[in-house]
Amino acid sequence: MQKQLAELMTTLNKNQRLSKLAISEKGFLFDPETGQSFTLNYSGMQTLNHLKRGESLEDTAKHLADEFKIPHDTALNSIEAFLIQLGRYI
Amino acid sequence: MSKNGKAWRNWNVAVTGMNASPESPGPGYAVARCLREDPEFNGRIIGIGYDVLDAGLYARNICDGGYLIPYPSAGKDALFERLKELHEAEDINVIIPCLDAEIQNFIALKDELEKLGIKMLIPSKEQFTMRAKDQLSKFCESVGVLAPESKTITNPSFFDDCESQGFEYPLMVKGIFYDAVLARNAFEAKAIMAKLVNSWGYPVLVQKLLCGDEFDLSAIGDGRRGMLGPVMMRKRALTEKGKAWAGVTVEEPGIAEVARKLIHGLSWSGPFEVEVMRTHDEKIYLIEINPRFPAWIYLSHAVNRNLPILLLKVLAGDEELDLAPAKTGTFFIRHAQELIVDLPAFESMLIDGGIASDVIGKHRTVSAV
Amino acid sequence: METNGHWEPPYIQPHRFGAINKFGKRSVKDNVVTEVFGVSINDLVAQYGSPLFVLGEESLRANVRKIKSCFEQRYNLCAHGWSYKTNYISAVCRIMDQEGSLAEVVSNFEYEKARALGVPGARIIFNGPNKSQAILERAIAEGAFIQADHMEELRKIEAIAGKLAKKVKIGIRLNFDTGFTEPWSRFGFNLESGQAHEAVKYISRSQNIILAGLHSHIGTFVLEPRAYAQQVRIMCELMKELEGMENIEIQNLDIGGGFPSKNALQSIYLPPEQAVPKISEYADAICESLLEGCKYRKEMGKDLPRLIYESGRAMIDESEVLISSVVGTKRLPDGRRAAILDAGTNLMFTAFWYNHPVKLTREYFGIEEETVLYGPLCMNIDVVRNSIQLPALNAGDKLLIANVGAYNNTQWLQFIEYRPNVVLISESGESHVIRWAEDLSVMMAQDNVPPHLEAKGKQRKFGNSSLTVLRPAASL
Ligand SMILES: Cc1ncc(COP(=O)(O)O)c(C=O)c1O
Repeated sequence: MQKQLAELMTTLNKNQRLSKLAISEKGFLFDPETGQSFTLNYSGMQTLNHLKRGESLEDTAKHLADEFKIPHDTALNSIEAFLIQLGRYI
Repeated sequence: MSKNGKAWRNWNVAVTGMNASPESPGPGYAVARCLREDPEFNGRIIGIGYDVLDAGLYARNICDGGYLIPYPSAGKDALFERLKELHEAEDINVIIPCLDAEIQNFIALKDELEKLGIKMLIPSKEQFTMRAKDQLSKFCESVGVLAPESKTITNPSFFDDCESQGFEYPLMVKGIFYDAVLARNAFEAKAIMAKLVNSWGYPVLVQKLLCGDEFDLSAIGDGRRGMLGPVMMRKRALTEKGKAWAGVTVEEPGIAEVARKLIHGLSWSGPFEVEVMRTHDEKIYLIEINPRFPAWIYLSHAVNRNLPILLLKVLAGDEELDLAPAKTGTFFIRHAQELIVDLPAFESMLIDGGIASDVIGKHRTVSAV
Repeated sequence: METNGHWEPPYIQPHRFGAINKFGKRSVKDNVVTEVFGVSINDLVAQYGSPLFVLGEESLRANVRKIKSCFEQRYNLCAHGWSYKTNYISAVCRIMDQEGSLAEVVSNFEYEKARALGVPGARIIFNGPNKSQAILERAIAEGAFIQADHMEELRKIEAIAGKLAKKVKIGIRLNFDTGFTEPWSRFGFNLESGQAHEAVKYISRSQNIILAGLHSHIGTFVLEPRAYAQQVRIMCELMKELEGMENIEIQNLDIGGGFPSKNALQSIYLPPEQAVPKISEYADAICESLLEGCKYRKEMGKDLPRLIYESGRAMIDESEVLISSVVGTKRLPDGRRAAILDAGTNLMFTAFWYNHPVKLTREYFGIEEETVLYGPLCMNIDVVRNSIQLPALNAGDKLLIANVGAYNNTQWLQFIEYRPNVVLISESGESHVIRWAEDLSVMMAQDNVPPHLEAKGKQRKFGNSSLTVLRPAASL
């Protein structure tokens, strides 16, 4: 699982894939490489913005846990699940 | 309203039916074009649609703003709430509904919208029902207009022995709101029926096939049994789906007479389109009365009988109707074109369900057309 | 972007073009109710549990009276037959009896139930294709009005009447094509093929039975008043023909039921407020057609027949709701929200063909999204609403599902779950249980374990409920 996630992060970061994604403040996401567009919910938007800046999963989870006042584990778990979803689309 | 009320020139007009897919364009885009190109009209035009791909919503030279509204099946209350939001943002004076399936919701809201200062020229519920597809033959009979024999059905087994009831193949199978498809045998007919029921619900209509030429007439019923500004068109080429591809204005007194009888009998109020079939023995059969402008309504502007503008004048009580004499021989050829949409506009439609007119206004190109 | 600090796990949803409209399925904003029939929903659930059916007595009586007066204003001699199968909870049948309705029953069980509830035989209309010898004997002895469905039944009735040396007045069920609805040709005697005339001949040759009624039922949720006008016209023509030929006088003209309620059929595109005509439009169509068809009687100086209608769903659908709670939520792989409820198609059979209105019972923040509502069954088809625009629901939230009065308390499934309490809110606002929730003892009462299958050292222990109101032990 951890290995899979690490590979995923590497793939997503290859050729600055993540940082090229355009995310509006309303959660509209456009992938300039594929032309596909998406809607993110608020936590999805926050997560992706952290990841785009190159933050680690751990750090991103910390931010979310603080912002929503939820346990760190909960945040980390759902970020990992989100990452897998992201890997399918991007 | 003053005797020759010119208030309409500055009205803000919301127009529905902004879907403009190449195969089957909604009338709204053409209605909005008619308004925009009238030299006296200075109001704002607000496009209303049901899908982010409704092209007219982004047509900056035509619509000042564009909004999504609830599907007709969501009911009149949800529609009313959304329209109130639009009214707050855009200060709407008139709505021109352009799609069959939504008209009943608008009829139900007429009084409530009126209280908000929003006018519509639309039929009453009774007028609307009398011309519904499944009531049409009875009504035609009562006003002395020919109509092809038809039958409402709910049971697909009808198609197995319809010949014994005088319905021979090929015949037309029609959805209760939209779509008419030719069926050559029972197998095809059942498949078509299933599809129509899936889109539009029960019942479906079957109609005997007539051979002849298709003509359409659009005009406005004044609600006092009169018909204003008829424009007549003969379809000259059809797309694969049987929609108008090219047409030409004509003047056929028999057809005008049929339309006049119908509008007189219905006491119709509002825009309409009459579709007729003129058989080779020169009989005129009514195929359908549509309770709205047709998608080819831009042709009315081309022959100086701009019917959408006429509608505003009727609502304003403007007596200078300025209708040119009927002009024949003006062609239209329908063509598809790419509309350019930038990402922010698209995002706005997708995420917010609309683009307010002042935002669009900034982008608006100076040269209309 | 709205969050209000509520945590929802991150997700991303790709746009698939074809039907994207943020407002497409918008529900009316003012969709929150905290009371039902004047009583707090939270209080009801605290007392009686969830899920919970709630029936409004005042609403039901008002609706019944409204429909009846529609007919009575237009035609002098009317009777309503309460179609038991629509909802035969005893209290409901008692209300309908008090409102002056006849009992329309279609089986041994329904007949026995009507009698057990104090309805005299003379106030029962007995329909249906399966009436046993024993129940026919009883019904004839008790003076019920039987409407025969097929020849074998006619022969049975004739024989019983002969044995009792009674002249028994009966009706026959007819079927025919009105051109508006799919003919229910499996019930009764077909008119077009001559079966109806054959039945009439049989009756007129008999010394013991007399034809006094014509019955037909053209379908259910019939959206076209003209279908009834046509039905009545056809029945009147037959009546006139028969009365001219034979020594017959039709006293009851029974048109069955089928008027729609304000529910949204999934197959109908328009919302019910537009698709469903007013009851007065049905009454107009029926009574005009009837007066026209009975002109000949007036001319002959004879009385008009009694009009019987057996409306079921239109009477009660809107007077009962189901309160259900969210037990879990999901994000489906296609991005849609989903919620699992403690009530599904086991309790709401009608969810298979209606989009029942769903109301919220508290205020929500955040955006509404397309949501699927699932029931509790382990069957994929257990779907309460396939697509509805709702805010993010949480476990424990209560929803109010409206218009469930017809056919649910009779067609509900006994499948893996206990059926819940049904509560009546009386006209004075008190709540009464009118059907107790099932528990293990109910579920096992009809089981019998032969001695060789008995578990060793077994303990019989029933009762599972933590509710504060329980069925009194005495009535167990
Ligand atoms: C004979 C008869 N009468 C009455 C009814 C009640 O119908 P509804 O609830 O549609 O009014 C039915 C329903 O199937 C029926 O079969």
